[in-house]
Amino acid sequence: MSSGASPETARTTPSSAGVKRLLARTLRHLSRAALGALGVLLVTFTLIHLIPGDPVEILLGDAATEELVAKYRQILGLEGSLPQQFARYLASVAQGDLGTSIQTGQSVNSVVARTLPMTAWLIGVTVLMALLMALPLGVAAALLRGTWFDHAFRVATSVSLATPSFYFGLLLILLFAVRLGWAPVAGYQPGFPGNLQYLWLPALTMSGALVPILARVLQSSIAETMEQEFVETAIVRGLPAPVLVWRYLLRPSLAPTISLLGYILGQLLSATVVVEIVFNLPGMGTALVVEGVLLRDYPVVQGIILIFALIVVAVSFLSDTVSGWLDPRTRLS
Amino acid sequence: MEAESPILRVENLCIGVPRRRRGLLSIVDTADFQLRRHQALGVVGESGSGKTMLCRALMGTLRRHGAGVASGRILYRERDLAGAGEKVWRRIRGRRIGYVPQSSLAGLNPVLTVRTQLTEAIHAAREASATEAEDQALQLLELVRIPRSGQVLEMRSHELSGGMRQRVMIAAALAQEPEILIADEPTTALDVTIQREILNLINRLRERLKMALIFVSHDLAVIEEVCDSVMVMYAGASVEIGPLEAVVRHPRHPYTRALLASRVDLAVPGEDLETIPGDPASVGAWPSGCRFRPRCPLAEDDCREGVQPPLAPAGLQRTACLHHDRMGCDP
Repeated sequence: MSSGASPETARTTPSSAGVKRLLARTLRHLSRAALGALGVLLVTFTLIHLIPGDPVEILLGDAATEELVAKYRQILGLEGSLPQQFARYLASVAQGDLGTSIQTGQSVNSVVARTLPMTAWLIGVTVLMALLMALPLGVAAALLRGTWFDHAFRVATSVSLATPSFYFGLLLILLFAVRLGWAPVAGYQPGFPGNLQYLWLPALTMSGALVPILARVLQSSIAETMEQEFVETAIVRGLPAPVLVWRYLLRPSLAPTISLLGYILGQLLSATVVVEIVFNLPGMGTALVVEGVLLRDYPVVQGIILIFALIVVAVSFLSDTVSGWLDPRTRLS
Repeated sequence: MEAESPILRVENLCIGVPRRRRGLLSIVDTADFQLRRHQALGVVGESGSGKTMLCRALMGTLRRHGAGVASGRILYRERDLAGAGEKVWRRIRGRRIGYVPQSSLAGLNPVLTVRTQLTEAIHAAREASATEAEDQALQLLELVRIPRSGQVLEMRSHELSGGMRQRVMIAAALAQEPEILIADEPTTALDVTIQREILNLINRLRERLKMALIFVSHDLAVIEEVCDSVMVMYAGASVEIGPLEAVVRHPRHPYTRALLASRVDLAVPGEDLETIPGDPASVGAWPSGCRFRPRCPLAEDDCREGVQPPLAPAGLQRTACLHHDRMGCDP
């Protein structure tokens, strides 16, 4: 194409323009991720040092002499002022080393490597389950607005939203694991597809908080779409019902739901902490609480929270991409 | 005129919105007209006169807007559609009645390409393979005079200009070769030169495809470009209907006369534009008797009584004015 492209000629090479746009967007997200990671590190570093309790004293017990404490402080890299400690930590993270656990001496990288896959599986299965439930529910609630279904939907989503996930999880365990025996009460075995039998109940627990939000956003978003002239036009064109629902109601309404999903995944990560503990799953949430926070194991806490932050950034990138694919209007900006 | 029976007959149609407490709120009341094959009927009136609701009644989409047919009949080939359910309407829509909406920006699905929206309409009308449908989609774009149709096929509405969008809307409405095309202010949102092109296009297509047309506009000048007859609506009622020329030359209703007198395109430069005194009667607050009475220079005591007068023959047209004989024959 010749230079000085008018909008018309630019249209004719959509692929190269598309690649450029994608690159620019990826760069933007990466720089945002780096900045976000730095902020997260700074905040967690500050917060965890504000919590009373000295890891070295926990490690050595009450009987330790002052010289011993000082020696261990040096071994563990906890000597010097906080800014000095932070600078040292930052330098090692920049090289891809998340540090060493104070309590166990394991590298934090290996803790992450051990626990990340399970948590990733849990999140993946949760998102899939939540969408599989929220999409039909939201569509039905929008189409049946004002009927008994709509009212039942409102009540059920409110109740579900108001139920804390640890309680909901225990109820589900009682029903499905203890009464019906459809799932193991707790525990985990890696390896697909065997791991699914351990994951579906925790995923269902987390969906309990996710589905109501997604389904309601979808419902109101579809209700808004229904008012659009193009729906009226499509109806008058005599299009079959499945085409109307999928292409004219769901497709134009899906983008906000997917964007929201990316957004509330941050909340979902904090839910994984609770759910992993309730279901005794050896994921990052359990590691964070049991190995990190309770033992004041600074490097473990910081490492895992950094990974959580990166997951949030990655997911928001992914949901942006998906909603851009679903709704080309959002691709313009 | 007598030889051919009309394909569409609307008889004393009343459209209402159910109210929480007391019965129905009327929004269209005594719409009354017929449409023969290949006829182009213009529907003119101020906003709020019930033009759009009338269109919706003819497409069976009133319920979506919380309204319904209260009484009267919509006879499509002698079949009453006034109380018809979705099942019946689904067979009528698209294949029998096509629709071009007012706002061309909102009329196209923003997330679908032109190709998808044209081919799905074609598939809804008849069995066709993917390539057949695509060929027909291209032909449709050429029919509505869209250049570079191959590229336009891949575009979405935000990539098209207003005039192009309206052409695509028309192409989609024609995909199923409807007998009747309903166009609700199809050129209102367009600038004047594009408006002219679209009107010419509608004219040509009507000739070529032998369609009947219902063309809704607030602008008589636009209606004169494409229609051969006209129905004037005021406050939900048909007040005058007849051949375009007769109505424009010899209006038999004071409201029609006032509309003609206030036309911008015929105004004398430098002189004040004629306006109709008073405000249009709003829905729910229609006066008793003739609804135009409070603004009418010919009003007398008997105009106050009863309900909106029905259309009665007068000259070549029919009028709802009780005193049309007192109107001078020239506007």
